[in-house]
Amino acid sequence: MFASIYCRKIITDVSLADFAYAFSPLVEKTGADTLVLDVDGCELLFGSAYELANEVAKLAAKPKSEGGLSTKVNVAVAANPDAAVYAARFLKGITFISPGEELTCLGDLPIEALLSPEPKVQCPESHGKADREELAAKKRLHEIQETLDTLRLWGVKTFRDFAALPSKGISERLGQAGIKLQQLAAGKTERHLNLLPTIRNFATSIELEYPIAEMEPLAFVLARLLNQLCARLHEFALATNELRIQLKLEDGVSYERKLTLPSPMRDHKVFLKLLLLNTETNPPQSPVLAVSVACEPVNPSVLQNGLFIPRAPEPEKLELTLARLAKLVGADNIGSPELLDTYRPDAFRMKRFALPDTSHRKGFRGKKVKAQPAAIANQPCVAAFRVFRPPLRAYVETLHGYPTRISAPDKSRNVKGRVVQLAGPWRTSGEWWRTDGWARDEWDLAVESRARSTNDGTTSGPQQILYRVYRELNSGAWFVAGMYD
Amino acid sequence: MAQQYVELHGRSAFSFLEGASAPEELIAACKELQIPAMALLDRDGLYGAPRFHLAAVKNEIKAHIGAEITVQQPRVQSEKVAATESNPAVITIPVLVRNRQGYQNLSRLITLMKLRVPKHAKPGECAATPDELAAHAAGLICLTGTEDGPLAKSFHHGDSDKARRTGEWLVDIFGQENVYAELQRHFNREEEERNQFVVRMARTLKLPLLATNGVGYATRAQRQVADVFTCIRNHVRLENAGRLLAKNSEAFLKPPKIMTRLFADLPEAIFNTSELSARLEFTLKDLGYEFPKYPVPQGETMTSFLRQRTDEGARLRYSGHGTPTYERAREQIERELTLIEKLHLEGYFLIVWDIVQFCRREGILIQGRGSAANSAVCYSLGITAVDPVGMELLFERFLSEERGEWPDIDLDLPSGDQRERAIQYVYERYGKLGAAMTANVITYRGRSAAREVGKVLGFDDATVGRLSSLVHTWEWKDPKDSTERQFREAGLDLQNPRIRKFFQLYQMVQDLPRHLGQHSGGLVICQGQLDSVVPLEPAAMPGRVVVQWDKEDCADLGIIKVDLLGLGMMAVLEDSIDFIRDAYKEEVDLAHLPPDDPKVYGTLQKADTIGMFQVESRAQMSCLPRLRPQKFYDIVVQVAIIRPGPIVGNMVHPYLKRRQGREPVSYAHPLLEQPLKRTLGVPLFQEQLLKMAMICAGFSGGEAEELRRAFGFKRSEARMREIEVKLRAGMKSKGITPKAQEEIVQSITSFALYGFPESHAASFALIAYASAYLKCHYLAAFTAATLNNQPMGFYQPFTIIKDAQRHGLQVKPIDVMCSDWLCTLEQVPGSIPPVMRLGLKYVKGLSAVTGQAIERERKKRLFTSIDDLHQRVPELRKDEMRKLAAVGALNFIKESSRSPVQIPQSKTENQTRDIGYSTLDKPIHRRDALWQIERVVRPAGPLYEELHDKRASPLTPMTLPERLNADFRGTGLTIGRHPVAHQRGELDRMGCARAIDLPHMRNGFKVRIAGWVIVRQRPGTAKGFVFLTLEDETGVANIIITPDLFDQNRLVLVDEPFLLIEGILQHQDNVISVKARKVQPLSFTVAAAASHDFH
Repeated sequence: MFASIYCRKIITDVSLADFAYAFSPLVEKTGADTLVLDVDGCELLFGSAYELANEVAKLAAKPKSEGGLSTKVNVAVAANPDAAVYAARFLKGITFISPGEELTCLGDLPIEALLSPEPKVQCPESHGKADREELAAKKRLHEIQETLDTLRLWGVKTFRDFAALPSKGISERLGQAGIKLQQLAAGKTERHLNLLPTIRNFATSIELEYPIAEMEPLAFVLARLLNQLCARLHEFALATNELRIQLKLEDGVSYERKLTLPSPMRDHKVFLKLLLLNTETNPPQSPVLAVSVACEPVNPSVLQNGLFIPRAPEPEKLELTLARLAKLVGADNIGSPELLDTYRPDAFRMKRFALPDTSHRKGFRGKKVKAQPAAIANQPCVAAFRVFRPPLRAYVETLHGYPTRISAPDKSRNVKGRVVQLAGPWRTSGEWWRTDGWARDEWDLAVESRARSTNDGTTSGPQQILYRVYRELNSGAWFVAGMYD
Repeated sequence: MAQQYVELHGRSAFSFLEGASAPEELIAACKELQIPAMALLDRDGLYGAPRFHLAAVKNEIKAHIGAEITVQQPRVQSEKVAATESNPAVITIPVLVRNRQGYQNLSRLITLMKLRVPKHAKPGECAATPDELAAHAAGLICLTGTEDGPLAKSFHHGDSDKARRTGEWLVDIFGQENVYAELQRHFNREEEERNQFVVRMARTLKLPLLATNGVGYATRAQRQVADVFTCIRNHVRLENAGRLLAKNSEAFLKPPKIMTRLFADLPEAIFNTSELSARLEFTLKDLGYEFPKYPVPQGETMTSFLRQRTDEGARLRYSGHGTPTYERAREQIERELTLIEKLHLEGYFLIVWDIVQFCRREGILIQGRGSAANSAVCYSLGITAVDPVGMELLFERFLSEERGEWPDIDLDLPSGDQRERAIQYVYERYGKLGAAMTANVITYRGRSAAREVGKVLGFDDATVGRLSSLVHTWEWKDPKDSTERQFREAGLDLQNPRIRKFFQLYQMVQDLPRHLGQHSGGLVICQGQLDSVVPLEPAAMPGRVVVQWDKEDCADLGIIKVDLLGLGMMAVLEDSIDFIRDAYKEEVDLAHLPPDDPKVYGTLQKADTIGMFQVESRAQMSCLPRLRPQKFYDIVVQVAIIRPGPIVGNMVHPYLKRRQGREPVSYAHPLLEQPLKRTLGVPLFQEQLLKMAMICAGFSGGEAEELRRAFGFKRSEARMREIEVKLRAGMKSKGITPKAQEEIVQSITSFALYGFPESHAASFALIAYASAYLKCHYLAAFTAATLNNQPMGFYQPFTIIKDAQRHGLQVKPIDVMCSDWLCTLEQVPGSIPPVMRLGLKYVKGLSAVTGQAIERERKKRLFTSIDDLHQRVPELRKDEMRKLAAVGALNFIKESSRSPVQIPQSKTENQTRDIGYSTLDKPIHRRDALWQIERVVRPAGPLYEELHDKRASPLTPMTLPERLNADFRGTGLTIGRHPVAHQRGELDRMGCARAIDLPHMRNGFKVRIAGWVIVRQRPGTAKGFVFLTLEDETGVANIIITPDLFDQNRLVLVDEPFLLIEGILQHQDNVISVKARKVQPLSFTVAAAASHDFH
């Protein structure tokens, strides 16, 4: 016999499967809210199938702390799993269907009820397989819907109507899929359960006997938990690229951190260092009462380095170095700069530092790389530009909008003098749809500084230096962007 | 003092997403900045040239014409540069038109490159070859262009030699004096570097320098629109458009002072702009358009030929009883012919006559409409069907010497294939380059603008949907519907900068050109060389060519056009005549219908007009019982009176009151009696306005038409004032008192905006009368023809069928054994009028190809089984079979024998139809058919192949409501009982009256009525009132909803198909309506077809 449990309310914090395991180890998850249990042989524990159904309903109504679901469930017991599922999903309370009486119970169900979820197999190991199964399920759903359309056109409204149609006629018209659906409607299917696989839990936690207020004892606790976690990953030959830590604090706040790793790892020492560095950067605000660590299991990456390819730093060490640097300079200030596709001067963003991909080198094998003549060698002499970072705030005198004199006092440089030659303005503006749109005029100015005496007593003549100066049109402020060498 | 500067390189929004200002905005900016002339160089076209020219003339600015031409790279450049998809090997050469030859060359060159590629060619595909450019270079000035110009391409490769060769190539083509080295300064480093290079090249090649600003928009603020357009063109959002966007906002029209300052180091570049401008002698005034000559037989001139044809026609037309005599008409015809000859328009009239003759020969119905009906020559030539002499219509409304505009003849043709045949005839007759359709410039408006701007700003789909839904479809704009309120109701905060920016941009892009479409019927004809007058390009529809200008532009530039318009009702009339010939064995000549048919007028007076042309709308129906038409002229008035003009001008009620004798007929001045007598002293027609001005102020016909135009849609304050002074002076000289003057001026000014031409109303009234006549006397034919030409008119097919059934028409169901693709008529023994058989066209989801295949096969021999149908019509898909079965179209297939029944050759289709299904075996029910279909369409497989299920299906037949639902779902209509009739028992219990009962109730009676909403309207002239038409099994009832009631029940009134209305019966002058007080939805379990909303 099979018992089906249908939870009338969606519950998220308790696993329905965990609840079902209390009654039978053979559980199929038919839908998000529906389970089927093989209850043959459970008589010694729970009595008859009907008594077991009663037990299920009673326990479900109990609070979660007592192992219940805090909600009402429908329970149906039948000789085949599908009849039990339909009865549980569509008939309230407890239903017991004697063998052969399926149609009596289910006959009035609307034909649309046949669209109830089909059993699904969970396959986290292989995404490709899961995708294929999802596609197949979609196709099957589409076929069922098409069949239902035909049935509706035929005026078939209930399971009973459908069951009453001649099987041969159905076979001729709807094929084997139609026959299967008709058997479902008649409650005459025969199949095995798709049992839930063993649950693998990659999370571990500990409730502390007394609050921890310092990093060192916390490090001990974390080390223990991470050790367990990595051992479990090792057991399944898995690694992780995402580590989550949750601390329950004394003030009731939950402290959560998430570490995203560039490549899958399994070294508990590295994890501990990374977590400590991260936690030290943003320490919890009150003592810790409980610690939970969880990770997302993935397949470990296997990389064979080439003989002639220079060794790159080990990912674990690199990650640690980056974490240390982030602690020193701030997480937002570390990474690789990337130029943005915009005319906004100096616009860039920081992206996460990653080792250069060496896989493309394989493409060069055997290829003749044509020597490119150095383009720069053919160019006339180009002035180099020395950028001032940050730019120097400048005070500029103008005549008819043209700069005539500039002064930008600074500790290291003293840009000051008369403008003897100029070019510009070179105008850029953009991102007008944002509140921080920009508009600026750039000028190239030849500035003549005054003659000055040096330490050895000589006097140097007036010098002409070429600067790039700009004016922010929104604020009217002038800056020196740099100088041409 | 600043040197005079002329902007010689500007683009408008007619460069389609490469420019951001309308041509008029560019001219307005020129005027403001005191720039004496400007050149418009749109991308590969002269699309904006007419508007640019006209705006310039108005503002006394010289408009130079030119274009940026995409040219394949010449050999001097392309030696080493391979074209790639992202970088097509093309360059852009800006050219300016120097003289008429240059204009013609440019127009031909653009036509050549455009017609070579399909309409939606990829960028770079549409390009002229260097040889073509050389062949069309005479009369053009070439600029060396900007970053995509010929010199810049060489500069990018750092190759001075190549640049020199390119320069020499240009000089070879255009001549030394016709090539200018173009310099632009937009405060851009790279551009300045290029400029220095161009200056060096110019010195080497001895080319003059020319400063331009490469204007892309009139004002700096419009840079934002330019950026938005760039994003739309590249299918990106602003956020990720990056360097596709402009570097700065400097491509606006700059004042001469700034330009002079910018080029202070190269003053000759500025000086040369005025010098070049002086050399450009061509403007669009000098277009050189000639209307084509009609090929007349040897020994004839066009004048003599036209006179002969007119005389022949006039003798024929004016010989009947009740028509004016030939002698009386002769005088008017002579006057018209004299003017036609004076304006050299003989060719035009003969060409239109030729098109009409072609249609007559081919049996295509054709009738002129619009102001052409004012012409006795048009009437004599058979172009129009309204006698202007008999109706005393005013010729000047059609053609006058003073106006200096070509006449406009609109021809109505049956929509669809017949119209296409007439268009193709014109193409064949005048050649591909001799005739083309006028364009229809599609602009950014309403929802499209909202959607595209929303997308560019990066809003998600839901927000874009909400933003575009803010653009209301209601004709009536509620004053409470402020922008803020609309945005707030849609959950959008105008304080949010992004939303505010959206709103700003949405307003800025309004009315800017989006793309070029094809006008529905305007054909431009030229003497063989239309491509030298205006560039031509392919239309989206195969075989069609369009000019780059729209109808208004063509008219403004004096290009004459003929409108071949498709009119659904013409197709209905034509099809009805065929049906009557076949089924009633009668010949109906629309030109000779009995003029005063009492049945027609009786029907019109009762407003029983569903399906009739122009008089079927809700507003017309409520006016007809008041106006009570008794003669043809009453129909002319009826057609014209329900228009915005008379309604807004408050002309309707005075006219109706006077007609009913409740108000005396009076005139503002005795002089007005003559023009206004026919309309009881109330001006209703444009012709009356013209006559008023002629009689009261002594205006000539042309001056009066000028007055009408001045006060019309394109009104200009200055022009109006000028004419008003003249009008008052004229009236004063006639001794009209100031008070009467004021009254007359008031009536003219308010009316001119919306008035309707009497000639047009008369043409439409003829069609309206014909449609009413056919409906009254040949209901089956008229209904079948109407159903075959859907969609058209005001009502859904369901309403048309129900109305016909109420008038006694027997409608037969769709049946594959009898139905053709279209609706047909069948003779039933014992029944005098034929019955109508619904066509397979009405099965939703059945393709025309399949339907026609069924018809074809059935005509060979009847189907013997569903299996037989399936085998003989391989086009029939499974879902189509199901649809046919679900609507009962397979019920009458005989399922008695596997062997097909051979029908003797002599058994024609009509005989087959006559047999009907009465001779066949007992019909199967719909579910039987559905059961069989699934067996038939499924490959049986080896096991079942030889087995045949002889047993009847185990399925139960459909119940009545099921059949009704299946009918609505499958065909959108039912020929059975009305859905409301099924609920009548319940409705009676609720105390609901039927539509048929309302006329017997007293005015002011409290009434409840229930029905199906077939029309919802909120007209712009009704101050927020909503009008519903409810239909039940006995007829239709008119419901009036006040604005407040509408606000309270908006969702119910807009969405619910069945309504129960409680209100007060208004029964006045035989017009019956219910003023609703309470509205509630009715939940009937029937699927309903959509209503016709918001017209």
